[in-house]
Amino acid sequence: MTLTDAREALAEQSHFIDYLVGLAGLARVVDALANDDHRSDPAGAPDDFVHALLGLAALGATIDRIANSTTAQQNPTAKSASTQTTRWLR
Amino acid sequence: MNPESLIGMLAELERIRGLTLDLIDRETPQLRPAPPDTTDGTERAVVDLLFGARRAVLGNPAAARGLHDLLVAEGRRYAATPRGSRLRDALAGSEAVENLRRVWEMVSFNVLDGPAAPNAAPDAWADLLADAVIGHGLDDSILARLRPEGFA
Repeated sequence: MTLTDAREALAEQSHFIDYLVGLAGLARVVDALANDDHRSDPAGAPDDFVHALLGLAALGATIDRIANSTTAQQNPTAKSASTQTTRWLR
Repeated sequence: MNPESLIGMLAELERIRGLTLDLIDRETPQLRPAPPDTTDGTERAVVDLLFGARRAVLGNPAAARGLHDLLVAEGRRYAATPRGSRLRDALAGSEAVENLRRVWEMVSFNVLDGPAAPNAAPDAWADLLADAVIGHGLDDSILARLRPEGFA
């Protein structure tokens, strides 16, 4: 097998969608952390740890947009509000 | 040197790297605490997850640092948007985030922070392993009494 000769059997075993679902799940966890009722007082300055969590949330938001745009494409009656977001892989 | 030789050399380097990590693993039992005696499946699963995260970070420091930097950069980009900015402020004031930070620091020993050459293991990782290997077997009970509670 080479990079230009991918095997379909391997593609069927790909966990790519599982990766995306896992990332989206982690992004939900970050949202839940942000909505925690217990607030620290005073709030600390956002550091690398907070920005890494934000990075996960951003990836989750992107995955959500991809999933929603795919759903909209499968339903032609629905208006796609995020047509441009489907072009980022091109 | 032909491509086959290069790939063979890479495979051999990877094998040597794996053997070196195995050796470090044996020499630093303090980084690999015994699993808890518990029948609670949930607790056991959480502990396994945390140990796995520590193994992943300490065993692949350059890759972990790369992922860390990528997430931080993506987070800073997201924070420049209105929605990202709101989420950043909410996270910065969340007590749950503070708790998670403590867990992460305990798991990773903060080896992903600090200086690092591009595409290389962070300096803090080398320092940690050097301390762990050199300090193995060292009786520091006197120093331990001098160390304030809560300090590593």
